[in-house]
Amino acid sequence: MPPPSNLPSPLLRFPAEVRTAYERFCATGDPAALEIVVQAAVRDFMPRGGTADHDQPLQADLRLVDDLGFDSLALAETVFFFEDLFKVSIDNRDLLGLRTIGELQGFIARRNNEERPPA
Amino acid sequence: MTASAAPRRVVVTGLGFISPIGNDRATVSASLREGRHGLAPVEFLGNPRIPVRLAGTVKDFAVESPNCRDWTWPARYLIPRETLRGLAPHGVFALCAIEQALADAGLTPAAVAGDPATGLFCASAGSAMLLHHHLTQLRAAAGERGNPMGVVSSISGTLNFNLGAHFRITGAVCGFVSACASSSHALGYACDEIRLGRLRRVLVVGAEEPNADTLLPFAAMRALSTRSEPALASCPFDAARNGFVGAGGAVALVLEDAATAAARGAPLLAEFAGWGQSADGHSIAMSHPDGAGLRLAMQRALADAGAAPSEIDYVNAHATSTPVGDRAEALALQAVFTAAGAHPRISSTKGLTGHPLSMAGAMEAAFCALALAEGFTPGNAHLRTPDPVCAGLDLPQATLALAPRLVLSNSSGFGGSNVCLVLRRSAG
Repeated sequence: MPPPSNLPSPLLRFPAEVRTAYERFCATGDPAALEIVVQAAVRDFMPRGGTADHDQPLQADLRLVDDLGFDSLALAETVFFFEDLFKVSIDNRDLLGLRTIGELQGFIARRNNEERPPA
Repeated sequence: MTASAAPRRVVVTGLGFISPIGNDRATVSASLREGRHGLAPVEFLGNPRIPVRLAGTVKDFAVESPNCRDWTWPARYLIPRETLRGLAPHGVFALCAIEQALADAGLTPAAVAGDPATGLFCASAGSAMLLHHHLTQLRAAAGERGNPMGVVSSISGTLNFNLGAHFRITGAVCGFVSACASSSHALGYACDEIRLGRLRRVLVVGAEEPNADTLLPFAAMRALSTRSEPALASCPFDAARNGFVGAGGAVALVLEDAATAAARGAPLLAEFAGWGQSADGHSIAMSHPDGAGLRLAMQRALADAGAAPSEIDYVNAHATSTPVGDRAEALALQAVFTAAGAHPRISSTKGLTGHPLSMAGAMEAAFCALALAEGFTPGNAHLRTPDPVCAGLDLPQATLALAPRLVLSNSSGFGGSNVCLVLRRSAG
């Protein structure tokens, strides 16, 4: 679990179901819960003009830059959001492997598992 | 002299206001004419013991949060998320003021986007609030991660970075940091760029945030009024003044080469007739006791405009309602005008607005353009008993229905920067 912080949660302005899913993922590692959080955050940072259908779920193989129109600042902003939310550091080498929504979700799940204390 | 060598004239063709006394030109004009102030009660940091009771606040915007997702602004301004993510709260004000000024000038954002003859000159102190927030966040993570927008949204060039990109400005983008003289410097150098033929049009904007992080450090300097009654708190040149009331917002002006403006049939609000600057060489924060630097800046501005002191009908004074600053300006005004047998009407509109720091020069130049275009002379709304040091100065209390032809606008900033602008009623 991320350590407690006096700063407000990055999810403060997200819908209740996203905050609940975040808590469930932190408690159980449930990938379906993580998917809800990643979908909501990517959609929130997604620039206008991308090719994604805003009414449909974002497919895991969609590329953040090539398909969704993220520029380097939007990408940096999104990465920071997840760093801040999950209290992890995503270095530049990691970033090269995070081209799609699925890769982003998989990275967070792996990093979370690495930091989860053994049962 | 051939026609091509004739000096270029500079005109003001558009104004935009997000100010304590109104968020559009008509409301600002009415506030100036009717003496309606824009000061409102504040309680910074939720602490009623802080002896700062008032600020010149911005209405119809909610940008207090460090998270731009929380912000709201009037629906007529469309700010895309790609722009919003890098803005400071005062960047939101500035963007709206520029949109207004462009419309006022008969221009669209598309008309200036990518135009190599259009520049953008900005003035602000940056966002102390966002800088504090981002550094707190960075330190909470032991320096290991921080918001990627932390720099561009908070440091003192934030307006230039963001608005230059948003409006696709390609002629020149520049920022000015001379404290409360900043936006007057921006206007002066914009005028010079146009005169030199380097640019045909410059958008100039000054903006500040009237929040705790920007204003309370001035209370630590004992520079802010501690009074809670607006008429007593911000009263430039009054014998009972005891400090300024901080303010914020954004004001934008469109300056254009007169021939360019005429060719497109632009509204001519005023001619930018000249400017002058000087430095006190005296103190970090205090005005020269005799106003020597400001006197020299006024004389240089008059010389640049080719005007005698007797030709100035109105002076918009910098006077912020501080004991030392107003006294120095009164002495400088006497040296330039009274000593020359000239008696222009003089007022400080900060009685109505409070003092918006680096935005003051742009705001007051815009007030002067309004006074010239609409034919009135702003008064000293909260002046009851002029300080005896103002003897011989014509300080009307109420706004007068007198149309000035030539006006002077003064600004002074920390470190003794003095900038004076001369505006002339447009012949057009």
